[in-house]
Amino acid sequence: MLAATELAPAAERPMLVASDIHRHFEGLHAVDGTSIDVPAGKITGLIGPNGAGKSTLLAVLAGTLPATSGTIVFDGEDVTSSPAYKRARHGLVRTFQLPSEFARLTVLENLLVAAPKNRGDTLLGALRGRSYWIEDERRLVQQARALLKRFGMSAKESEYAGTMSGGQKRLIEIMRALMLGPRLLLLDEPMSGVHPKIVLEIQHYLEDLRAEGLTILMVEHELHMVERLCDTVVVMAQGKVIGSGTMSSLRRQREIVDAYLVG
Amino acid sequence: MNTYYAVNLLVYAGVDIIACLALNLQFGVSGIVNFSFIVFQAVGAYAAAVLSMPPDTANGGFQHYIGGYELPFPIPWLGGAIAGGLLAIPVGFVVLRKLRSDYQAIALLVLSVIANAVITNADKFLGGAAGIALVPPPLSDRIDPNTESYQYLYVGITAVCVVIALVVANRIVNSPYGRSLRAMRERELAATAIGKNPVQLKMTIFIVGGLIAGLSGGILVGFIQVWAPSVWLYPETIILFAAIIVGGRGNNIGAILGALLVPVGFEEITRFLNNSPSIANLGPPGLIPALQWVAIGLLIIGFLWFRPEGVRPESRRVFEGAPVREDR
Repeated sequence: MLAATELAPAAERPMLVASDIHRHFEGLHAVDGTSIDVPAGKITGLIGPNGAGKSTLLAVLAGTLPATSGTIVFDGEDVTSSPAYKRARHGLVRTFQLPSEFARLTVLENLLVAAPKNRGDTLLGALRGRSYWIEDERRLVQQARALLKRFGMSAKESEYAGTMSGGQKRLIEIMRALMLGPRLLLLDEPMSGVHPKIVLEIQHYLEDLRAEGLTILMVEHELHMVERLCDTVVVMAQGKVIGSGTMSSLRRQREIVDAYLVG
Repeated sequence: MNTYYAVNLLVYAGVDIIACLALNLQFGVSGIVNFSFIVFQAVGAYAAAVLSMPPDTANGGFQHYIGGYELPFPIPWLGGAIAGGLLAIPVGFVVLRKLRSDYQAIALLVLSVIANAVITNADKFLGGAAGIALVPPPLSDRIDPNTESYQYLYVGITAVCVVIALVVANRIVNSPYGRSLRAMRERELAATAIGKNPVQLKMTIFIVGGLIAGLSGGILVGFIQVWAPSVWLYPETIILFAAIIVGGRGNNIGAILGALLVPVGFEEITRFLNNSPSIANLGPPGLIPALQWVAIGLLIIGFLWFRPEGVRPESRRVFEGAPVREDR
């Protein structure tokens, strides 16, 4: 918990502030004037019925979908117009609702490919040959192996990621995101389609990451999980935020219960 | 087998290997379905030709083309490579930025057809349908190209170019940069989400592929001394794709193997069939060449169906100090 204490002053300022985000598909207003603050060092849950616009909002925050309008400030920096790959390099990293491993790369390669600061990861660096980048590569292999060990996947490092189970693919994706050294992790239903045993593992990993000071925003359907894991919860319906707070406070709000929690 | 035939085979093998290494970087490693690949070889050949030839007023002015600079070797070959790389910039700029990958393939195929039609009909530009003839072989001002030793020299220079192309391709494929390209091939959106810029990756490898393809064109035109639209019709690209698919996508050994099996081996064997009078006279004229295309098509389909990874599959990369793989 030491890390979290150190980060306390930063927690005064939200890690991400999105204001009046709109995302329209033709006539459909998937995200319709949503504003959201993501507090630093916490896990924020994003819930709502199917079609509420949660995944779309996540994609807009990560930049994988451009916003129709609105502004996004990440750690004090306006990133509204910066493309997804730049946001990822700045530490705003997302995962996907469907497994999105690089199938014909090994598990270890899936992690290595995400690591920034490898001298061999440019054309000219590559052309200079192995001796130019091998030091970086060795350092990153160590870093990746430490992550694999922590997530209990060391034995799988040389297997093709495409041959892993659904839960293992989730873990690969989370580890891959961590290789970037993110400041904010956007998780899109990290538990969906995952074996209950691995769900519990993922929960523990996320709690550990929070304890280390990482900020997380996660879309999740499983409300018990949200209750256990999330410090604050934002509820969306029909492209708008209809409430936010702790899960227990939300349960007391009539319109939210009507819109989502019961239905 | 006489020297001429052996040299012919070796130079063609070299050119095909270089071309397949380039196409493998684009298609096998990066997933760019470059159906206009042959255009990049062609532009390299045209550039090398006009850089090495005298102005078109020479030889009684029987042919028309732009330029004619009589530059010494190796400038025409380098020029050919640069022309291939330069062409990749506008083409990539239009095709690779916004289009989905299947539309990219269609756009590139159409580009190949259009380019061929334009060059065929613009007869003052690069010789039109008749093409360009009497391209001087490299170093022909110093060594008589009709000697056997010159023939071997040509094979030697081609071999050096193969080695250069192979070193470049190996360094790219086996580097962290190559890993980023493979990640993009596997899942472009996820690659974007981990900080890769797919447009930049694609543009860069498109240009590198264009450079190498252009070089292969330069080598070829110096050897056959003629170049015309009929030698770079779009099906030539399909043969190279067949080579990559048969050899094994994503690895350079596979690309070399494919080059030796399909454009060299397969075409040469069927060429012999065509030369044998009892077979060549079978059926209507043109039957054997037509069947050659059918066979190429069947080869592609057969491999995609039964062995999509090719003769030599892309290897799984095991890192130093990896735990022993569990047997399942």
